[in-house]
Amino acid sequence: MDIGKQHYKEIGFMCGLEIHQRLATSEKLFCSCTARLPTPEEKNNAVIKRHQKAVAGELGLVDRAAKFEEEKAREFVYEVNEDHACLVDLDEEPPHGMNGEALAIALSMASSMSMHVPEEIQPMRKQVVDGSNPSGFQRTTKIGMDGFIELGSHKVNITSMFIEEESAGIETSAPGEILYDTSRIGIPLIEIDTDPYIRSPEEAKEVALKLGMMLRLTGKVQRGIGSIRQDVNVSIKGGARVEIKGLQDLDALDKFIENEVLRQERLVAIKEELGSKKGISLGTPKEVTAMLRGTKAKIISNAIGSGGIVMGFALHGFAGVLGKEVNPGRRLGSEISDYAKMGGVNGIMHSDENLEGYGLSREEIELVRKELGAGKDGAFILISGKNKPASTAIRFALDRARAAIDTGVLLETRGAVNNDTYTTRFLRPLPGGSRMYPETDARPISITGEMLARAKLDAPDIDKTKKHLEKDLGSGTLVEQLLLSPRLQAYNDIVANTNADRAFVANTLLQKFTELRRSGFNVDSVSTGRMIDIFNAYVSGKITKNGVEELLKAISAKDQPVHSAIKERGIERITGAALEKLVEQAKGSGKNDKAAIITEIMSRHRLNVDGEELNKMLKQAKP
Amino acid sequence: MYGKEITKVFDEKGIKIWDTVRIEKSGIYYEGIVMPRTEAGDENTLVVKQKDGYNIGIGIKGAKIEKIASSGQKPEPTLPKKRVSPGLSKVSLLYTGGTIGNKVDYKTGGVYALTKPEELLDEVPELAGIANIDPQKISSVASEDMTSSNWAKIASEAARALNSGSKGIIVTIGTDTMHYAAAALSFMLEGLTGPVVLTGAQRSSDRGSSDAFQNLICSAHIAAKSDIAEVGICMHSTSSDGKCSFIRGTKVRKMHTSRRDAFKPVNSKPIAHVDVNGEIQYGSGYSRTGGSSKVEARTGFDEKVALIKAYPGSDPGIIDYYTGKDYKGIIIEGTGLGHVPNFTEDRAKSWLPEVTDAINSGVIVGMTSQCLYGRVNPNVYRTLRMLSAAGVVYCEDMLPEVAYVKLGWLLGNFKADIAKEKLNKNLAGEITGRTLYEEFTD
Repeated sequence: MDIGKQHYKEIGFMCGLEIHQRLATSEKLFCSCTARLPTPEEKNNAVIKRHQKAVAGELGLVDRAAKFEEEKAREFVYEVNEDHACLVDLDEEPPHGMNGEALAIALSMASSMSMHVPEEIQPMRKQVVDGSNPSGFQRTTKIGMDGFIELGSHKVNITSMFIEEESAGIETSAPGEILYDTSRIGIPLIEIDTDPYIRSPEEAKEVALKLGMMLRLTGKVQRGIGSIRQDVNVSIKGGARVEIKGLQDLDALDKFIENEVLRQERLVAIKEELGSKKGISLGTPKEVTAMLRGTKAKIISNAIGSGGIVMGFALHGFAGVLGKEVNPGRRLGSEISDYAKMGGVNGIMHSDENLEGYGLSREEIELVRKELGAGKDGAFILISGKNKPASTAIRFALDRARAAIDTGVLLETRGAVNNDTYTTRFLRPLPGGSRMYPETDARPISITGEMLARAKLDAPDIDKTKKHLEKDLGSGTLVEQLLLSPRLQAYNDIVANTNADRAFVANTLLQKFTELRRSGFNVDSVSTGRMIDIFNAYVSGKITKNGVEELLKAISAKDQPVHSAIKERGIERITGAALEKLVEQAKGSGKNDKAAIITEIMSRHRLNVDGEELNKMLKQAKP
Repeated sequence: MYGKEITKVFDEKGIKIWDTVRIEKSGIYYEGIVMPRTEAGDENTLVVKQKDGYNIGIGIKGAKIEKIASSGQKPEPTLPKKRVSPGLSKVSLLYTGGTIGNKVDYKTGGVYALTKPEELLDEVPELAGIANIDPQKISSVASEDMTSSNWAKIASEAARALNSGSKGIIVTIGTDTMHYAAAALSFMLEGLTGPVVLTGAQRSSDRGSSDAFQNLICSAHIAAKSDIAEVGICMHSTSSDGKCSFIRGTKVRKMHTSRRDAFKPVNSKPIAHVDVNGEIQYGSGYSRTGGSSKVEARTGFDEKVALIKAYPGSDPGIIDYYTGKDYKGIIIEGTGLGHVPNFTEDRAKSWLPEVTDAINSGVIVGMTSQCLYGRVNPNVYRTLRMLSAAGVVYCEDMLPEVAYVKLGWLLGNFKADIAKEKLNKNLAGEITGRTLYEEFTD
């Protein structure tokens, strides 16, 4: 075992992955809507508004995550595009039968991971109360159990695989209202869960890469941002299971896990520190609006000005603790603030911050401190906003502050903050395990021997694919990279439809794409069809090699047919007689030296002239 | 019920539904709670709920089953303490069955009908702030299984409750035939002293998105606070949450199999709109409270009444069938203005002879339209005049289902000649003299 893994073993590191991959079926999982996502041009044509209520869970207890969402008391607004969502998606019609294509894909994945498939699969409803499904639940069906994949000589257990409905996408989220787009609802997803014994952040990344590759090798998965999502569960000794959602960049998976480990270590340390002190307690929340009327602190005066209130509470013995960093740029105060925000306010102020920076005067700070009863070694938290949200927020903040003393790390679902800090923020309490009941509107399905035999034939085969690629590209890193790349399918489609040089295609899809994406081009939006046209334009001599890159830039900026993009950018290839003419012109302007001619022409026509052709022409030219 | 093979193993091992079992099959072990067999599943496949909450099906052939634990005691639902808030009106809630009363037990995943109507109040605590609700179970009948005797029982209970101090009545009932029940109660209850509000759910209340909660809250507002003295249906106005419509019981119809806003007024407008906060906006022209001090329930109903549909190629022998079974009334859902096939090329498909025979033998025949919207008219075409002359009663702008219920009720309480005379006269808002432009829009 390497040193990294040894360290993680010592801290009681537990880590499991949940991979969610959208399938590229023609229809959705339980209705006949297209499973294709709408383009930005396709507009929504209806809006419906709904409320959801937390309903009793196991043994009459309302699931804590469900209850939490209900306390937020938000209105859910659903935008509907009739080409992409029907009554089934809007919770206005029972589901149709399960999509056979999706089931076949799932079974082929199960086969490739040597999973046991139940003889009869049973669609279930998993309660979801954040509004992401208008029904209040997600349909999910267990397809496989107890499989594994190999990472070199190490086996990683795949405990289960499910086929599920995609949820609605959040368009905007405000304290009182969340706007969802319903087009995505019901697109089939495969969820693959590992056991919690992944040994290091790095190994987690390897597992995710491998599973992503296997899924793509089915040839039946959607591509593009959001089409695959990795949720990670992490805990350490003394900490608690935390689920991180919304990781967009697989490359950063390990960094997020490392930071979560750090966060849990710091929270455990804070709990221990508080536990060793005397006089640690929380004060009762009090309203302090009156003494802050007329303050220069904008956030507070705005709240009071619009009829709101200011509330606060003391944290006895907490001086300096709220300011302790738990993750890069995030303090215990930020953790509490996340909870307060869920009540519908913009955040908190606390005494470990520079309150004068907010515009509070020293006198005001002292008055508040006194009123709340926060002594010298104490701290306090202030929340301003409309009456109801502020009261809810103060309760949430109080609960979170208490947890810093009693619990340390809370069971949470956290969201990745994709701003290159690799940190996360609180989303909701981790759902309890009792949110499941049968989907009585959809029939169970018997899995037959023929279905399993078919699945075996269709199962993604890494070795076979690798051999096939090596035939085109030779053995080397290009093949390895392509296997792990989300653009393998695009590569296959392009080489099947053009005579372009294989290595050029592969390099464009790998290096060039990465380069362009880093420079801010949304190259992932270029469809495979357009790419085929681009390479065909190159093969037929309409554009140069450099023109390929230019077209990718043009089409990622604005989707359009390749011929019009060529025209728009003025990158028609200059070749043959026209190129000779350019050479003559260069000579005419006094450039006789070969290198000077090349520089002259290429500096003006880099995108239009093929350097090789020019070179050849000059070599053949009579001196 | 599971098939013989599974039942046999259960008997041998003393296994019951909800017990925890361990199963070995082909070297693989499964553990879980034994679930009841779903109707759609294979009877030789045992369904178990695994620890993660998922159900899977395991074929019994070659499986070894051991019981690990008996099912625990199912906890009794905690029911809200009955409390009376001074200042709030008393409203009786009559529970009759239907989707609104379905509940899921999350531990086992089974769907049950409520055993106690109080459980409904437990699910919607808001109700306690609107009225002093007095729940009572009348029946536990699915909508499609309702008959006139169920309606009679509801009518009697509603009358009794109104006469003993209830401000209004809420009837929770299955939605499929809710409009039949609403029509029946409209005719059966005379001299109403308050609103009788029928409501239900298109989505069962096990899901957070159920329409049941809002429907109950809005119904309670109408029942407790409105000055309406009519029977009506109170359900979602639109697919969005927020508002319900209260629609006259004789002018309402389920127009969608599954949407929340399935109930629409036909040849009418809602009596009122009500939102979840209790804001009621009244339409015009409804019966107000204050006109009566005692409700009478006239619950007779003659079940020898049929509702039949005429369509291209339909066989008029259906009329002979009913007259042969001593039916006393037939409501025809005719085409357009109230046609049945009359001059078909195949004379055997003409309805006029059978209709005339039926009327001559004393059967009351009423004509409505399958268009639903609009009014039948006996004069526009020759065939209509012929049917009318034969004695067919043209039922104006009355819905076919309402005409069916009305005729059954009339024959159950009046002599045939009076019944016939009353059939196309307005008794409970089922017939209006004027059809308004805005009552039919997209």
